[in-house]
Amino acid sequence: VVADDAVLLREGLIRLLEENDHQVVAAVGDGPSLVDAIGTHRPDVSIVDVRMPPSHTDEGLRASVQARRLVPGTPILVLSQYVEVSYADDLLADRRGAVGYLLKDRVAEIADFLETLARVAGGGTVLDPEVVAQLVVRRGRAPLDALTQREREVLGLMAEGTSNTAIARRLVVTEGAVEKHVKNIFTKLDLPPDEEQNRRVLAVLTYLRG
Amino acid sequence: VNETRPNPVARIFRQVGVDSAYVLVGFPIALVGFVVTITLFAAGVGTLVTTIGVPILAAAVYAARVFADIERLRLPPVLRQAAPRPRYRTAPPGSGVWRRLWSPLRDGQSWLDLMHAVFGWILKTISFCFVVTWWAGALGGITSIIWERFIPHPSDSKDLNVLLGMSDTLAARVGLDTAIGAVFLITLPLVVRLFALIPAQFDRALLTGIAEVQNRISGLEERREAAVSAEATALRRLERDIHDGPQQRLVRLALDLGRARQQLDNDPGAARATIEEALGQTRETLDELRALSRGIAPPILADRGLASALAALAGRSVVPVGLTVEADLGRLTPIIENTAYFVVAEALTNVAKHSQAGMCGVDVIRAGSRLGVTVIDDGVGGAQTAKGHGLAGLADRVRAAGGTLALSSPTGGPTEIRAELPCE
Repeated sequence: VVADDAVLLREGLIRLLEENDHQVVAAVGDGPSLVDAIGTHRPDVSIVDVRMPPSHTDEGLRASVQARRLVPGTPILVLSQYVEVSYADDLLADRRGAVGYLLKDRVAEIADFLETLARVAGGGTVLDPEVVAQLVVRRGRAPLDALTQREREVLGLMAEGTSNTAIARRLVVTEGAVEKHVKNIFTKLDLPPDEEQNRRVLAVLTYLRG
Repeated sequence: VNETRPNPVARIFRQVGVDSAYVLVGFPIALVGFVVTITLFAAGVGTLVTTIGVPILAAAVYAARVFADIERLRLPPVLRQAAPRPRYRTAPPGSGVWRRLWSPLRDGQSWLDLMHAVFGWILKTISFCFVVTWWAGALGGITSIIWERFIPHPSDSKDLNVLLGMSDTLAARVGLDTAIGAVFLITLPLVVRLFALIPAQFDRALLTGIAEVQNRISGLEERREAAVSAEATALRRLERDIHDGPQQRLVRLALDLGRARQQLDNDPGAARATIEEALGQTRETLDELRALSRGIAPPILADRGLASALAALAGRSVVPVGLTVEADLGRLTPIIENTAYFVVAEALTNVAKHSQAGMCGVDVIRAGSRLGVTVIDDGVGGAQTAKGHGLAGLADRVRAAGGTLALSSPTGGPTEIRAELPCE
């Protein structure tokens, strides 16, 4: 399901998805029809714009939360012109994973975008680097100072929902090295070690949100 | 606005009547006011050491307030302007007896009322004497032809005509008295006006001075609030316009370019088509940005003035516009030019979006120190200035510039928006 009130963008997204062998079962332009579409089609994943009619505020977000009450755990990737931590909080509140929250601009990096989409559809949690950056700023420096530069990079990528393999590829190191960093981070921040991706993201986010 | 102007003679007669009544009635009222107030005031001050003085003083102040209110009612026809009542200080609800008694005494206007009651009668008495004298002289003189013959006239009496060296005949006496009466009569309107204005201006200064300042302040406060509200509305709309317009287009552009990059490897033909589309997107984004910046601060308005800017605006309108701008409008202050421009721009946008009108007319007329801007269309009507509508922001904007906005839009049309703006 694609939900965006700007026809221009909706059409663009649909074309992009269809060119990459995905099927769009419904394209809607407001909150209530999004909830209906998710209820009817039970899609693998929904792409949702935050600001939509009728309220033109955070309609998409509220519709997503409502749809997930109706169809628990239905994967939703929220796109927005602005990313705000408090919006992310709303999405993560039910702790079921399968949510993503990205700046709209990220669609231009098509390969990354499709990978993110697949990860959300697979039950993962993905947050925009902007959100993570806001969280890190809000958390304050002190405990993070204990981390090395490399470890802080790894922490950021973990919070965004990146897997160890992807982190290794991004930072051009071996997976073993990443695992070592992750273990160090969890020890230094006093977090319970957990291998499952979704729970790991939530643990890191919980920590960052303080 | 056409005012019906009564002929000047009728106006003079009416003003003489108004002024005379004001002065003649004013004297006994002032006398009663003086006696009541000074008695209470003296008694209150005298017993102030015992606490009984406080309620008596409060009574004096309230009595003075009653007489002040009466005068404020009597002032407008004489001064030909409103005499606003100041806001008196009132004790907060639920406060005790002493607080209630004190609060009028702490109000500056109360003491001005008291001064008015204590000293106002002096000017009113003088005015009363002059006005009665002039009326008596005028009426007595010109009617002397009727009554002069009945006055006993012993031979040893020396009347004015004899003292002036005129002959001692009835005709001479009547002639002189009539002449004096005529002089009184001719000067009557002037004298009555003068002696009505002197006490009226004194009362105005004491009784409405504070209220006038209060009114001006609350008027300015209203304007400031309207300005703040108009600005907030404009900014919110600008954000929304950017979000819905150029921002969306740029995201789509990025998306298309991303797709083109992906297509380059396996399908160069499709990539070319996507890039063509992306080019179209950039052109439309530029158009939108241009329209948006024109909406924020139209360059032609600053460069060439209201008339040229409105001509350009009318030229771009979807609905045909009949534009009439007063020929020698010249340049006005920027805030007035801006406001007038946005009234027309907003009205035309509404006409295009909602009215289904076939044509509309824009009139800009300068009448004295007012600039009238009218936009009429032959559409379906039903426009509103309620909150949340575009016209509400416009009303705020006009009020912020010190003007007024009137809307008439019955269901079925036509719609008429009329703004009046001050311009010097």
